[in-house]
Amino acid sequence: MMIKLQIVAGLILLLALLWIVNMIRRRKLELKYALSWMTAIILMLIVDIFPPILSVISYCFGIATPVNTLFLLGFIFSLALLFTLTVIVSRLSDKVRQLSQAAAMNEKEIRELKDMLKNQED
Amino acid sequence: MKSLVIIPAYNEEKSIEKTVADIHTNAPDFDYIIVNDCSTDGTRALCEEHHLNVLHLPVNLGIGGAVQTGYAYADKNGYDIAVQFDGDGQHDAAFLQKMQAYLVQEQADMVIGSRFIRKEGFQSSGIRRIGIQYFSNLICFLTGNRITDPTSGMRMANRKVIQLFMESYPKDYPEPESVVTILKKEMKVMEYPVIMRERTEGTSSISPVKSVYYMIKVTLAIFMEKIRRV
Repeated sequence: MMIKLQIVAGLILLLALLWIVNMIRRRKLELKYALSWMTAIILMLIVDIFPPILSVISYCFGIATPVNTLFLLGFIFSLALLFTLTVIVSRLSDKVRQLSQAAAMNEKEIRELKDMLKNQED
Repeated sequence: MKSLVIIPAYNEEKSIEKTVADIHTNAPDFDYIIVNDCSTDGTRALCEEHHLNVLHLPVNLGIGGAVQTGYAYADKNGYDIAVQFDGDGQHDAAFLQKMQAYLVQEQADMVIGSRFIRKEGFQSSGIRRIGIQYFSNLICFLTGNRITDPTSGMRMANRKVIQLFMESYPKDYPEPESVVTILKKEMKVMEYPVIMRERTEGTSSISPVKSVYYMIKVTLAIFMEKIRRV
């Protein structure tokens, strides 16, 4: 039973990894931001291939069932990833602000130059 | 001395012309710049039609980002003084010259137009006054300076403050927070008594639902500003 689950989970993880790599290859995904996902998948693969790791961690932290350790790790990882996204959004929104302000200034200059040209023609 | 009036405008087509006319008549020494924060009404068309001096933001940045654009424009064009001025008819341009004279005379870095020194004109609603009083007390407690009207949108800044605001300015509800920034840098903030009108057009950016968020966000921002390194 366990081996079946391991194989299915391993296949899903491999597929996910391939999918991510393919997206990076086609430049749909920035390697920089995919790195954390790739690391997570590889870690999960390792745990999938060597399940005793989970039991060891569970024992160390006094968690009764290894599957709860899995949930805990997954939860921590999700939170960490969400937080990095919040940081990225903050940085991006600041960049958008700077870009918009620069664009507004440029647009004004272009408008004024156009007006000047028009006046010269008249 | 070159002085600029920064008018942030979001959907102010009904009042923007009046505001500009008010400045022309009552503060003729001041240049003005309208910052159109990606309005969805006819503000843009109106500005173009009347050849008003305007910056059009390509996306809506909110009041903080819009005002900051004005400060960046002031810096780029070498203005010595920049003053924020609402485009919705609340502010009276007749006070601008007096505020500037006061800033020069007191050698202040910033002069805030305060409704609550002489308690004349529109005094805001009761519940808002409580909020304003609360921020006034909080700022006094943290910085030792009594600012009677920390939420006033009518604020005049010298070059030093213009450059500071250009570097960083809060995105939303910027007024109380940025006053703390200035005070923490040991710059001189003074207040000048002004009379404000009740807005003629548009609605306040702070709806009842948002006011809870406003109180929490600004309180936190003020504390953050306090613990931030200069």
